[in-house]
Amino acid sequence: MTTVSVAGLQVSYGKRVVLDDLAIELGVGVHGLLGPNGAGKTTLMRVLATVLRPDRGEVRLLGRRIDDRVGLRQARRRLGYLPQAFGFYPRFTVREFVEYFAWLREMPAARIPLAVDRAIERVGLLDRADDRMKHLSGGMLRRAGIAQAIVNDPRVLLLDEPTAGLDPEQRVEFRTLLRELGCDAVVLVSTHLVEDVAAACARVSLVDDGRLVFAGRPEELIAAGGDGDSGDSPIERGYTAVLRGARQVSR
Amino acid sequence: MTGEHVSAQVLAAYAEERLTDGDAESVEAHLDSCDACRASLPPSEEVQRVVANVALALDDRLSTPGRVPPATGWRRVRVLVSAAPAVRAAWLLSVLVTGLLTLGLAVSPRTLPPWVLLLVAPALPVVGTALSYGPRTDPLHEVVAGTPQGGLRIVLWRTLAVLTVAMPAVVLAAVVTGISTPLLWMLPGAALTAGTLALGSLIEPTYAAAVVAGAWAVVVLAPPVGGLVVVAASAPAWLAVTGVAVVVLYARRERVGRQAG
Repeated sequence: MTTVSVAGLQVSYGKRVVLDDLAIELGVGVHGLLGPNGAGKTTLMRVLATVLRPDRGEVRLLGRRIDDRVGLRQARRRLGYLPQAFGFYPRFTVREFVEYFAWLREMPAARIPLAVDRAIERVGLLDRADDRMKHLSGGMLRRAGIAQAIVNDPRVLLLDEPTAGLDPEQRVEFRTLLRELGCDAVVLVSTHLVEDVAAACARVSLVDDGRLVFAGRPEELIAAGGDGDSGDSPIERGYTAVLRGARQVSR
Repeated sequence: MTGEHVSAQVLAAYAEERLTDGDAESVEAHLDSCDACRASLPPSEEVQRVVANVALALDDRLSTPGRVPPATGWRRVRVLVSAAPAVRAAWLLSVLVTGLLTLGLAVSPRTLPPWVLLLVAPALPVVGTALSYGPRTDPLHEVVAGTPQGGLRIVLWRTLAVLTVAMPAVVLAAVVTGISTPLLWMLPGAALTAGTLALGSLIEPTYAAAVVAGAWAVVVLAPPVGGLVVVAASAPAWLAVTGVAVVVLYARRERVGRQAG
């Protein structure tokens, strides 16, 4: 099953509850994950990426629970993850960097070289493939990071703020890539740029204060906004309207 | 259903054939007329298998995009071993420290007593191991931790990289001081490294290394048990420590190299 499903998810750091009884279902396609800073977007990403164990709740990736060893390992093979902040090994070339993660995700050895070059080509870095990472610009590093996330043809792809550092032209190219990837994989993109969502995502989820407050299509988010809501675009007005509504209810 | 469209939850239930016949029929009626919902319907396992097979078949025929380097075992080992820059720092540290101490000892055994070397040399792989993984020292820890080869496997690769350089340094130290045989110096080195890995599955690796190195210092320096006897007469004890650490490591292998929480 190519789906991600989460129920009753609870995560706290110390006494602070970051995710509170969160439930979310994701099917094939590009999903935008929106929300204010500190709403719990990155925490949700980290739980789905299997790097953070939730305190409570059930997480299913590709129809399987990930709390047993076998299920976890199988899920990780089909997972691609780009964290919001990631470092790099300065002496690695782009090719070595992507190759390293192809190996870590247990791709068959014979398929790795070709898959590596395809991934680098898809993010438009092929002419810099043999450059060392320390010689790349911020936008290029981000694209190298995207390349490592897609090298294994993941069924579940998690991208945390992938457009940070990309220039406008690269962002347009990236949206095209997103739509291609969303044809047969669950792609979850967290962003604070509401316009990115309107342009590239088939569905939007809005998280506020550790809860899911909206799930639907971008048109539905736009429809939620009225003329009186603050924002420079229809979808921004929808975003602020839904947030305000959710906060009134919780009070 | 939310508004005009079928919710992701219902679509997933439909794809998994968990809906009642009536509900499935109304979902199908909607799918007939709605491109957007059809596009978000997950492909069935059969379709996925066909697509994967076609992709495999095409892969061999499509031209390669760039200068694809061959997948040799040597290349893989080189990439793996050079992956953590901190490993290189640990190598440099081992060689430098041992070199300096050996030199000092050669010049004057009085200003630099042999026990200093005994204190430092077996602890070098501990420091190196702790430096080579964990959220504090590995810039890609977060991504690595989410891969199937992430945890114990990659940590062992890096430990191996550290040991290949640190162990010769330990042997050199043994030869120079002339205390006991080199093999007996390697035993506490191995025990301390295994101990660091095992403890690193419970607490952060850097703290684990600090605890292990501290315990080693107590053993070497404490008057009743310590001193140079440590190396000469306690091989079974070090083997036992290594054994216990390996058992703990195996039991907690899922937690090694991943963050607690």
